[in-house]
Amino acid sequence: MATARGLSPEVGVPRSVIRLRRRRKAEPLDVARLRESFARVAMHGDELPLFFYSDLFIKHPEVRELFPVSMAAQRGHLVDALVKIVSQVDNVNDLALFLQGLGRDHRKFGAVAEHYDAVGASLLATLEHFSGPAWTPEVAADWKAAYELIASVMTAAARADEQVAPPWWRGTVVAFERKAFDVSVLLVRPEPRMDYLPGQSVAIESPSRPKLWRYYSMANAPRDDGLLEFHVRLIDGGAVSMALTSSSIADTELRLGSPVGVLTLSQPASGRDLLLVAGSTGLAPLKAILEQVAALQQPPRVHLFFGARTAEGLYDLDSLEKMAVQYPWLTVTPAVSDDSRFGGETGSLPDVVARHGDWSGHDAYLAGPTEMVKDAVARLASAGMAQEQIHIEDFGWSEP
Amino acid sequence: MTTAWFDEERRLTPDELQTVTFPMSRLGRRGYDEETVRGFMGAVHAEFVRLVNERASLWQEVQRLRRRILAGDPGSDEHGVLFGEADAHVHAVRILSSAQVTADRYVADAQAYSSRVTEEARLRRDDIMREAQQHSDMVLEEAHARAREAAVSALNVAAPPLTDRERRAAQAELAYLRTYSDVYRAHLRAYTEGVLSSIEDWERKEAASLQEVANGHTDRRSIS
Repeated sequence: MATARGLSPEVGVPRSVIRLRRRRKAEPLDVARLRESFARVAMHGDELPLFFYSDLFIKHPEVRELFPVSMAAQRGHLVDALVKIVSQVDNVNDLALFLQGLGRDHRKFGAVAEHYDAVGASLLATLEHFSGPAWTPEVAADWKAAYELIASVMTAAARADEQVAPPWWRGTVVAFERKAFDVSVLLVRPEPRMDYLPGQSVAIESPSRPKLWRYYSMANAPRDDGLLEFHVRLIDGGAVSMALTSSSIADTELRLGSPVGVLTLSQPASGRDLLLVAGSTGLAPLKAILEQVAALQQPPRVHLFFGARTAEGLYDLDSLEKMAVQYPWLTVTPAVSDDSRFGGETGSLPDVVARHGDWSGHDAYLAGPTEMVKDAVARLASAGMAQEQIHIEDFGWSEP
Repeated sequence: MTTAWFDEERRLTPDELQTVTFPMSRLGRRGYDEETVRGFMGAVHAEFVRLVNERASLWQEVQRLRRRILAGDPGSDEHGVLFGEADAHVHAVRILSSAQVTADRYVADAQAYSSRVTEEARLRRDDIMREAQQHSDMVLEEAHARAREAAVSALNVAAPPLTDRERRAAQAELAYLRTYSDVYRAHLRAYTEGVLSSIEDWERKEAASLQEVANGHTDRRSIS
């Protein structure tokens, strides 16, 4: 639901941090007491966020429509965020980064400054309810101070972001193509124009699945016409992917969140050659990076491995092979894991990559199914590739 | 399933769930497993009854509490703790929480159901594709064998001049092979077209149903 990434330099990181410190001196916040208090209420598990949201919706019914019908995932997000905040409450710099991202991210959900007071009141009421006799004036003051810090950092980041970006972009689906049985490619026109780095992603909400946001990577580097390409794979039972892979999505208007993500070409360039490993629609961010490389004065050598279960799953191989013909610095190796009839490389993608030799002198960029990426990263690391050479996207707790 | 159940104005009753019927799928077409649908409807019915009962008892409880508060008779509860405003709020929070949990469960069930249906469709589609592949492999294999045979026999009989009988036999064999390959090609085409039209049919239905859902949402939004 939220992400702490995608920091833009315009946002005043140091100012908020300074304010945090001043406040801490004025009203000392007992970190140990806060943690002890949280540990006590956290025992109640799901009851805690359940009470919180019900309290919030009864006191402020108008807030309910900002949330999806099912609140199950939402409750998990709230608890995760609280756990993170409480565990990092004495590490103000990291916490400020996290909260600033959270504040910016909440703009697309329609959160405004007044909501923060309402949330604070319900949070305190919830903590009080579950604390019982342990809710002393001191504990209450700790939590009040802690929440005020959280809200001030989040709202400050949101306000700063208002200067540079809309809360969300309108994105009209101008073209739709089914590339494989379960993969569709969407061409979307964002309004206003969206600036982003190749490899980044945006959260997308489809009109037929209100309040459900899922992250998708742009599959192209920014273009003159501003269009964005997305590769969407149908996930069994996936509410959003099902809406986006259906041809009825053509001409509809999506909502797009701010571009986020760290899977971007290292700047300044490392000078190393590139290894790109793409499983299925994990190809999208890597294709954007490939386009970026193609525009460089002196492109490094690039070896792209594109894997799928079956040959049909190599949905974009044609255009990749065209690029390989056009660019002498590019090698494309397709691989298929579940079809021995395939003429090219067969086996799991990490195996295929490992078979192709020593990559320790390369910068690696990987995207695709979580297990595949994890496996490939482990293989590259054990083969001597340094951690800073390995680039992956990690939405962590933000991915629903 | 018809989409009538998404009508917001109409309330569904447990009785209706028991009497609802589904149109049979067309002859020779695959449809949902009747037993599964029935089982699912049974579960929905039971859940529905439980909810109606719970709501009734909660409503009675609300009425009882309201009467007590209006009568100003807190009984032994001198400070209004048990039936005061704070207590009513906690009750309200509990009621809303249990309603939310029920809603979450419905969504989760629907999601699981949709996941199962999609997965089955995908597996079935993989099966159909594999069958078609095997079928076309077989046809190719047969054609190859026939062609090899024909080539070999042509070589063997090339040296001595063909007698009329042999020529006629060779021509007959050739005609047979042509017909054979035509028939197989026609079979393969019909089969492939059948598979394609099933997929198109499926896509059309999916698009239509999604459109309906999307329209439903737009309507609701414009009301609010």
